[in-house]
Amino acid sequence: MAIESAKPSEEEKSWSMGVADATLGALGRRTLSSFGVFWAILHMSWEILIRFFPPRIDGAELMRNLYNVGVRSFSIIVVTALFVGAIMVIQAGIYVEQYGATGLLGWGAGFATVRELSPIMIALMFNGRVGAKNTAELGTMKVTEQVDALRALAIDPISYLIMPRFVAMVSMMTLLVVLGDATALLGGAATSQFLLGVDHLVFFRSFVELIHVSDLMLGVYKATTFGVAMGIISCHYGYAVSGGAVGVGRAVNDSVVSSAIAIFVLNYLVTYIIT
Amino acid sequence: MASKTAQDVSSEPRGFELLLAYVGEPLVLAFLELRGIAQTAALTVAYAIRGQRRREETWSQALRIGNHSLLFVAAVAASLGTTLVYQAGLQAQRILGDLTLLGPLYLQLLLREFGPTITALMLATRVGTGISAEIGSMVVTEQVDALRMSGVHPVEYLIVPRFWASTVMMLCLVCFSVLVSWVAGMLTAQLAFGVSPLTFAKLTFIIPGDVVLMLLKSLVYGMTIPIVAGASGLAAHGGSEGVGWATTQSVVNCSLIILFEDFLLSGFGYLFLLR
Repeated sequence: MAIESAKPSEEEKSWSMGVADATLGALGRRTLSSFGVFWAILHMSWEILIRFFPPRIDGAELMRNLYNVGVRSFSIIVVTALFVGAIMVIQAGIYVEQYGATGLLGWGAGFATVRELSPIMIALMFNGRVGAKNTAELGTMKVTEQVDALRALAIDPISYLIMPRFVAMVSMMTLLVVLGDATALLGGAATSQFLLGVDHLVFFRSFVELIHVSDLMLGVYKATTFGVAMGIISCHYGYAVSGGAVGVGRAVNDSVVSSAIAIFVLNYLVTYIIT
Repeated sequence: MASKTAQDVSSEPRGFELLLAYVGEPLVLAFLELRGIAQTAALTVAYAIRGQRRREETWSQALRIGNHSLLFVAAVAASLGTTLVYQAGLQAQRILGDLTLLGPLYLQLLLREFGPTITALMLATRVGTGISAEIGSMVVTEQVDALRMSGVHPVEYLIVPRFWASTVMMLCLVCFSVLVSWVAGMLTAQLAFGVSPLTFAKLTFIIPGDVVLMLLKSLVYGMTIPIVAGASGLAAHGGSEGVGWATTQSVVNCSLIILFEDFLLSGFGYLFLLR
């Protein structure tokens, strides 16, 4: 090319410009839009934070949300935790059987469950059930102009709609992980008794002797952190919806994806900071 | 509940009947949900075997399900791998004082459990909500009725291309995610505990059963996600609220069914593959 003509022809130039422009443009657009989302999430966190001093929460709405978020997620969390406990016992059981160390089964399965899997799995289920529903509800209200109606009545939509949801998600996520840990233990004990043939008392004893309170608490701290992240992210995406039914669907999708990434990144950070 | 006729409305239900209704209602709802999913699954498999082939649509769905999830899957897999190796390393240092087994055991657990299941849960979040939001919006805007009017079954037209794309792409994404987690774990082991990558990358414990179990799990999950998400999408009704409901339902159903399948397949692996 360069031998034939020292200067690139007009056509080549426009082609290379086009590719460079498109790449840079795409990169820049993505950077700008993710920066915008990040900024909006920070802004939402600030809006939520300032409403805690002094607390401005609608009481009746708070009770309703606590019920919807906590009590109605109960069955799903219980089923999830049972499976998580059972699966971890099966995985640990393979090693236990190889080395004949049945006394370590409760430790192996329990350690992974209470520190890692139970918070993560419950957070993912909670994200799917509560976070998605939250975004969908807020989005529907936004699309059907109910949020504007609240504003027209001089009711602050953030303290009426978002604060109760945020508080409910954080508190219930924390409590549900405690419940989930207990249920996972039951699932694990049942699996070790019936599938592996290890007596459930052996399982419980090794769990109680080798797992410290700090291990349980790490899971609980993680749960609170995940609850904060999911609360802020799902409320942000729901509150920022535009564009009818399609917009609501897209917002729910974005919300669960961002929350899932936040869960895993925070999981790493909390583990690293606390241990 | 359903059999309540006009005559016995007058007689208030007593305690026992209320209890039965309280226990029965979730069971009936779960049964109806599962029946809908089973119907969609049967239709999908039937049309996938001898329906029309929509090659271009399948390709574009594969692009959206596979390539566009790469960054998301990589972010999650890397942070999960780092966290797991960090925690396992701390424990091994404290209890065994020997880190040579860290790498092989981590890779084994990754192949058997975390690689396929976490990737599938992530894709259930990202792809599952996408599919159900898309199909749900089509249902509420009556595009699916238009399809039916033209003599095309919505399962054949909408779900089957996604079924093929997701089945193939899930296999690729699980392999990719295992690789990313493994490399992230290797870096963590090197940086945090000074385990050299050569020691970490030993494949001594890996048996063919591990790889077979991983592929089997990813195949099953890949087939599950579009079917369950599509069933929730097709069951959407009402406006933007219906789309939100369908998306929520899709994440919850996908995740629960994936966990259940994980339990079954892990049990199967424990009993037959990993001996």
